[in-house]
Amino acid sequence: MREPKTASQPREVTVTRSVALNNQLLDGRPASGADVVITHEDIDRAHDREQVSATRARRGFRPRLRLFWLLIGPGILVMLGENDGPSMLSYAATGARFGVGFFVPFIVLTFAMACVVQEMTVRLGAATHRGHAELIFDRFGPFWGWFSMIDLMIGNFLTLVTEFIAIRAGLGFFGVRPAVAVFGALLVLSVALMTHRYWTWERIILGAAVFNLVFVPVALLTHPHWGAVGRALVTWKPLPGGLTQETVLILLADIGATVTPWMLFFQQSAIADKGLTTRDIRFGRMDTALGAVLATVAALATILATTPLFTHHMAAANFEAAEFAQALQPFVGHWGAALFALGMFEAGMVAAITISTSSAYAFGEVARRPHSLNLPFRQGRSFYLVLLIEAVAAAGLVLIPGIPLVYIVLLVNVIAVLAMPPALLFLYMLVNDREIMGSLVSPRWANVLALGVVVILIGAGLLFGVSVIAPKALAIFGG
Amino acid sequence: MEKQFDSAQDAEVSAEVSREELRSVMTALEPDQLISTKDHHHCPRRQLTRTEMVLFWALRIYLVFMVGVVVYQIWTGVR
Repeated sequence: MREPKTASQPREVTVTRSVALNNQLLDGRPASGADVVITHEDIDRAHDREQVSATRARRGFRPRLRLFWLLIGPGILVMLGENDGPSMLSYAATGARFGVGFFVPFIVLTFAMACVVQEMTVRLGAATHRGHAELIFDRFGPFWGWFSMIDLMIGNFLTLVTEFIAIRAGLGFFGVRPAVAVFGALLVLSVALMTHRYWTWERIILGAAVFNLVFVPVALLTHPHWGAVGRALVTWKPLPGGLTQETVLILLADIGATVTPWMLFFQQSAIADKGLTTRDIRFGRMDTALGAVLATVAALATILATTPLFTHHMAAANFEAAEFAQALQPFVGHWGAALFALGMFEAGMVAAITISTSSAYAFGEVARRPHSLNLPFRQGRSFYLVLLIEAVAAAGLVLIPGIPLVYIVLLVNVIAVLAMPPALLFLYMLVNDREIMGSLVSPRWANVLALGVVVILIGAGLLFGVSVIAPKALAIFGG
Repeated sequence: MEKQFDSAQDAEVSAEVSREELRSVMTALEPDQLISTKDHHHCPRRQLTRTEMVLFWALRIYLVFMVGVVVYQIWTGVR
């Protein structure tokens, strides 16, 4: 990165005496000055990186596999984290309302879009070692930086509310009372943070995120018509009912279920926190692609799982997460329904952790406070407090009775889609900024794909606007 | 060696970073990965071109307008 000009206020936390990082010290001679401060965070990260270097030095298949294991994480977490409560509910509503058809290939397309976007954050994080919010503030100034932060914080908070809705609804299927479900989730979130180690936290959440795939056995229990799935993937048909206001809402909700601003902030910050460098970009891409594949499988499985509701003409407009599970019971049995409810809980739980972490990272980067999962609580007090306070506030809101859950959930995804183009413009400009990216700026083909994503997102947003303001005008688009 | 990094005050009286840790940090991390480097060195601010400014404002107006549409939809839905 180019030599910077500005200097910020020093961090509050200095964990060791100032130590000159030079050869003098390593040679046993006294340091001449306080050039660099080594922090607890540096030491932890260095230990993780040493393992990577040692593994990279070895040859053969097993070391390569081990290296892959060491370097994966942020991509899978962000993709499976985005398969969150509102996302799974959107997919469930899609299957129940439209069955197997247009939306099957459409979901594949949205995850391809997510891959294009997230790959840019991999390069940006590895090249700059900085979080997304920090780069936006540094390069574009606080005026635009605050706009981006406000978008993120509002979006994250609303999404967090829906995560706790999913947690409440998922555990509700098993008879767990809402307050117990919500407090239990907060406890799990807090326990995960107690590791004070990025690596351990990442592995715990990865383990939990894999349970997103519980929707696969549920889908198999419905005995899907694989021929129809194959035909839909090729023809993008049928689209029952054509292009209506409801179709557009589901369309946007499904896009919002795969590409959202928090993903940009989370993955870039997690890559910086994990300590990935430019040598690791290839693995970062593989990590992201693997995450996208797993998330696509889970999303399609959810659509297939709720397709019997469409086939049997069961109205799904008022189904909440747990009610989806109950409605599916005649088709998938009690265990299938229980798995579906468990999947909803898992989706909400993992996303609640990742989304609140993305807020805490962004806050720390902007406020110039320590922000790392490697920090002990006392040193990263503001980081952990932001994370917990946001989660507690969202959890508290969910306990208010009489909230129209499904409607809120779908609208949260819509808002995420609408906030995405401005966020993508920042990302696009940063990743094409030769001063910070050097030779890692986006190649032309990547820019074409990124602009394609922006056009699709803006087009979908405008279509939504038309469907709300002038529903009859949808006829122009074939509705 | 297990170290306690409880606070800045403790740190001042704690032993220096061990040679092993220092060597580990120096060899395993890139210079701009160090927290103190990141704290003191920030990316310089860039000057936005007129086109970029127009794009920023256009997308901001788009977002505000579309949020208005969502609010309108909620309002009509409630009614």
